[in-house]
Amino acid sequence: MRNVVRLIWFDLKPELSPPVWIVMEWAVFLVQAGVYGAIISQLVTNPSIGDYRQFYSVGLVIMITFDMASHTGRHFVEHAHEGRLPYLLSLPISRAKLFLTIALQGATELALMLAVPLTVTLLIIGNLTWISVVACILTLFFLGFGVAGLMLGLSFIAFKSSDLYTAMVTGLSAIIIRFSTVLYPFIVLPSQYASAAAFSPLTYGSDLVRFILGFDPAILLDPFYAVAVLAGLAASTLGLGVFLAQRLVEGVKSA
Amino acid sequence: MFAVETQKLTKQYGKVYALKKLDFTIDQNEIMVLLGPNGSGKTTLLLILATVLKPTSGKAEVMGLDVAAQPTQVRKLLGVAFQEARGFWRHKPADILRFHASVCGVPKTKAKSTIEDLFKDLELWDARNKLFMHLSGGQAKRLEVSKVLVQRPKFAILDEPTSQVDLRGKRQIWEKIRELQEEGSTILVATNEVREAEYLADRVTVLDRGKFVVSDSVRRLKDSIAGGDIVELEIDTSEPKSLEKALNLIEGTVKITNAEENRFKAYVSMAESWVPKMTEICYQNKARIHSIRITEPSLDDVFLHFTGRTLREDDK
Repeated sequence: MRNVVRLIWFDLKPELSPPVWIVMEWAVFLVQAGVYGAIISQLVTNPSIGDYRQFYSVGLVIMITFDMASHTGRHFVEHAHEGRLPYLLSLPISRAKLFLTIALQGATELALMLAVPLTVTLLIIGNLTWISVVACILTLFFLGFGVAGLMLGLSFIAFKSSDLYTAMVTGLSAIIIRFSTVLYPFIVLPSQYASAAAFSPLTYGSDLVRFILGFDPAILLDPFYAVAVLAGLAASTLGLGVFLAQRLVEGVKSA
Repeated sequence: MFAVETQKLTKQYGKVYALKKLDFTIDQNEIMVLLGPNGSGKTTLLLILATVLKPTSGKAEVMGLDVAAQPTQVRKLLGVAFQEARGFWRHKPADILRFHASVCGVPKTKAKSTIEDLFKDLELWDARNKLFMHLSGGQAKRLEVSKVLVQRPKFAILDEPTSQVDLRGKRQIWEKIRELQEEGSTILVATNEVREAEYLADRVTVLDRGKFVVSDSVRRLKDSIAGGDIVELEIDTSEPKSLEKALNLIEGTVKITNAEENRFKAYVSMAESWVPKMTEICYQNKARIHSIRITEPSLDDVFLHFTGRTLREDDK
């Protein structure tokens, strides 16, 4: 396990010296939640939603989680294209530990990125307790693993064409966020949008976090259903992603 | 036990064979040089032995360990310097080598002194705290080779270790590779630089289009070309025709040409055994030798001889 930690720290170190990217992400969140959130909450006055800024802040946290998880998947593809992956594959670390490293590094980056946004969101909602923090983090990590696995699963496209992969991921990201309950609750979605939103993993992540934080369950999906979907998504996409990626990078599929 | 042994090793991409039924061995503590043009399968073979790629079929063993069945154990024995020195753009050379040494289990104190010595010997001292992205191609390549030199593995794989490196740097790297061998490492070098192969190789294996062509010492490969050595002679004789006839009878003579009256060009198999016999004949025929110039075949000629193509042909 020491090599796993070494590898994570080696990759994280340049990100933290100085931590410009993380601080900028925090700043963007604070501006969005503080300025835009305050203004938009004046316009959105649906009584079932309550204070829209609270709803919106949770949405921002979900979007950061999605971005970071996508970044982890993309990172893997970039490693392959930049020639770093063969080096990593030649190190005296088992494949399982190497993929664990990639997952844990993504989780660490996610935790760093979310430290301020999640704390501020919990403060805005007035629910900064150990239980809410732990439950939210677990949910967000499950969501993150699911999305990262999805991106890893799509990485086979990048081995054919990195441009196509970038275009696919950008388009998919836009669709997954828009057709979800990240920014608006399920009950206000027109039926055709609602059926599309049911396929977005972000729908389940954002509704589960909102349920944990005490939003009205009437505007949310069934939390047990959300837990099942997120756990299933994380296990299946991450498993499939690792399987595909391993076969691709070691050239087995091509045989 | 061979340090490396492959049996019918095959790597296939769709319908294209990168390696086809390759049987190949490396002895313990040997420097084996893989020679072949681009696309000959050198890098594929190295990546399979490094457990980065998996073979389509066949078997490859490193120090008796199967690369497909025991990859993690194999990785503990080997160090690789890749063809393309890329990847850690935002890291510094000192950090990269320290990290590599720690992951490969080199004790901290030993790693510290080895890294310092390498930076000095390979002229990377001034670049040690620059970001990788700011290194020149030659510096990046030297850093790539340094990873293996810090690690001192039992089995070292070096893919074109001196490409982009200046002549002085090449010599320094070659010396370091030789030192590694003296410490007991087995070394596999892939190159298409003939001089590198001639300097380093205990044996050379020639690959062409994924297939094994020939494997032997540089000397024997050169000697195996009938008429590969060229001996140019300037001889003062009154009877050039009879001298030419006599020279033609020396064992190992393939062809003699007599372009000008006193100038002969002999295509022979082994110049070192042919020349003494030639001087004896000249002495008996009262012919006076003014000059002798011997040109031996290069490994490029060896490649041409065995494949019918030059090493650079596929690069064009």
